Amino acid sequence: MDIAYQPIEGRSRGYYLLLAILLTLVAGGVYATFTMIAHGLHLSGMTNRVPWGLQIVMAIFYIGLSAGSLVVSGLYGIFGKAEYRPFARIAAFLAMLFLIAGLLSIVTDQGRIDRVFVKPFAHFNATSMFSINPALYMGHVMICIFYLWALFKKKGRLTKPTSVIVVLWALGVHTGTGAIFAFTPRELYNTALLPPSFVAAALSSGAALMILVLVSLFKITRRHLDIALVIWLGRLLAVFIVVAMYVILIENAHRFYLIESREATSYYLFSGYHAVLFWGGLIGLGSVVPALLLFHRRRGSSVRWIVFASVLVVVGVLCERYLIVLPGLEHPPDLFPGWEIVGSVLDEGIVTYTVSVYEILQALGVMSFIGFIFVLGLKYLPLLPVEARAHGQSQMLKGMIARAVARRAARAQGVSATRL
Amino acid sequence: MDRRAFLKTGGLFLVGTPCLGGLLVMSAPRTAAASGAGTRRWGMVIDLRRCPADCTACLDACRRENNVALHDDPRWDVHWIRKVTIARKHGKEERTRTVPLLCNHCDNPPCAQVCPVQATYKRADGIVIVDQHRCIGCRYCLIACPYNARFFNYKGGETWTNTGYPKRSHGVAESCHLCAHRLDEGRPPACVEACRARGTGALCVGDLDDPDSEIARLIADNSVKRLRDDLGTEPKVYYIGL
Amino acid sequence: MSDGTGTIGRLRTFVLVALPIVLILAPLGLSLYDHVFARDALEDGDAAPFLEFPAERDEGCVRDSAYMRFHHWELLREVRDQAMRHGVRGEISLDRCRTCHASRERFCNRCHEAVSLEPDCFGCHYYPASPTALTSDTAPAHGPGR
Repeated sequence: MDIAYQPIEGRSRGYYLLLAILLTLVAGGVYATFTMIAHGLHLSGMTNRVPWGLQIVMAIFYIGLSAGSLVVSGLYGIFGKAEYRPFARIAAFLAMLFLIAGLLSIVTDQGRIDRVFVKPFAHFNATSMFSINPALYMGHVMICIFYLWALFKKKGRLTKPTSVIVVLWALGVHTGTGAIFAFTPRELYNTALLPPSFVAAALSSGAALMILVLVSLFKITRRHLDIALVIWLGRLLAVFIVVAMYVILIENAHRFYLIESREATSYYLFSGYHAVLFWGGLIGLGSVVPALLLFHRRRGSSVRWIVFASVLVVVGVLCERYLIVLPGLEHPPDLFPGWEIVGSVLDEGIVTYTVSVYEILQALGVMSFIGFIFVLGLKYLPLLPVEARAHGQSQMLKGMIARAVARRAARAQGVSATRL
Repeated sequence: MDRRAFLKTGGLFLVGTPCLGGLLVMSAPRTAAASGAGTRRWGMVIDLRRCPADCTACLDACRRENNVALHDDPRWDVHWIRKVTIARKHGKEERTRTVPLLCNHCDNPPCAQVCPVQATYKRADGIVIVDQHRCIGCRYCLIACPYNARFFNYKGGETWTNTGYPKRSHGVAESCHLCAHRLDEGRPPACVEACRARGTGALCVGDLDDPDSEIARLIADNSVKRLRDDLGTEPKVYYIGL
Repeated sequence: MSDGTGTIGRLRTFVLVALPIVLILAPLGLSLYDHVFARDALEDGDAAPFLEFPAERDEGCVRDSAYMRFHHWELLREVRDQAMRHGVRGEISLDRCRTCHASRERFCNRCHEAVSLEPDCFGCHYYPASPTALTSDTAPAHGPGR
């Protein structure tokens, strides 16, 4: 069974308008970056107490997204799910673009960008996560390019082992990214569960984004996408959400239980805007609601609800990435246990980070840059299959589809469909 | 997998592994070879009993000597040394204390551990210093320092109070380096000199490994404390009276 | 798909045509820009830019003229690493250069401008452009100095 790939026509007004908008946003990002190069990073919202901000949050968000995309791409190669073969190319392409976005976000955040291309390799520090990770990221991009080449050239025997290598390397990449934070002595960073929780949230956000991308692309290009494939991805996403929630809850329960970290964890969990982000954004809207939706018999089989759940998951994981980086910096280290600092020339207590316009422009610029390449790729590369059908369906899937069809028929006739 | 595929995948790894290995081999040792710096181990003792709450001699001297940037904004101001006032969290003690805080020049510096270009490193004589020519401004060292003793130049400094010493342009990280340029020439750090000139003598910098030095005697004769001993960073700034 | 009309064929053609054009035109374009906008561009046969030497010339103060003209930056780099990384500070320093070569404008900058070089050093290291402007107010705030 050979899959036919057909790039999109890409000649509509909407297509060119989209390209124009993306390029404008890229220009905005370039402007913001160069302004900060010329005048200094004080134009961002970052300070000496909060040295990392939106760009690093977006960087780890993108890197996380690339993991989930790769897992979807590897579904065919590793798990042998033949019905997901049509998505391998676009998922691998997206994964590569996300990683490039992560690298770009980090590079544009440096104080001396002119030095960042040669010095980290000339003076590699094997104990620094910031040295190891870029090496992992670049190796990952190269492996992804090789994987894409193997997919394009239809080297069947090569793609399977390569997809294993790609997913394993991705695991290393994401563990390393979590380690950037976990391997420092900051109270709210310093937990061994951070790399696993990073991987778990990466898988869920990546799977969610793949669902969104696939459904919207197939809908816009009016190509056929079997509901069963989306439903199965939705179930996979539900499992990822549960695993991510489990790790995050244990991580925070442990931090809260230990008296030495209780004060910091109380700040993180219960006070301020990040309490809203954690309980409302990550746990509530980002995990519990989507999990309930996706495990629900009826809603979990409806594409609309799956898409809605995926949007919630993506937003929830973005909240989680923000929570990984910022509260740990806003909360001060305990320099004098038993004492509190009542006077200083600096802000020694809890500080707040406010995003600046320049950082938003930079983030939009990076997003639009990979969006631009992605949209071009859809036109010039055979990424999108002509159709995606679920061959060799399992009994469960057949039953799901039959019920969905019957429900639609019943609704069309005005009959109550709640019993199906 | 057929032979061609095996050769191709294997070739990829044969090329990739030495590349990674080469990167690891390229990484120079983090502490400089002991040459010229001698076998000293610089440390500092701060006697809080002699440090008046309202005195700013060391702060002003350091800023003047090292052209440390001040922007009148606590968000971006750089303070290689600063004084904080602390009060007990519980209990009825009303008295507050003033403590000078600066880079502790740890023997296990987390900042040097995480610098991706080895711009922050510990010299053979124990001073933790930033090579401003190499720093890429990633600010990971600010994140890793558990003492909030490191700063980033968000804005370049405007004034050049000491033309005998460079100032920093924006985009690099920095922290106190015990006036390494003065210690290398046999002069005391600016803060120590100012404190002595004032007659207070609360600061002392010396060779921790020399049993006859003033600093070694101060540590031996007094009850000294270091900040956050439990972290294992082995800071080399000792406080008397904390 | 190898007849050049399919999608992969189109992409391949695009890359095969565009890439060499970009790779060849880019350096040409950049050097053209340099030629047009660089002041007193140094070409073969041109006299070296006029360097104002100090009144009392100490040949071999640090190294001889030929070495300094072509290798002074390597020397500075070595001095820098010795001072920073090993704490070994010797005779050679920018301050000492300044005692004789007091005007950066009429000495250092002449060659640097001729070859379109903007060394990063003077944004941090004190070396005023002209000896009369010795106050700290005239020091450049950030970035490469002129």
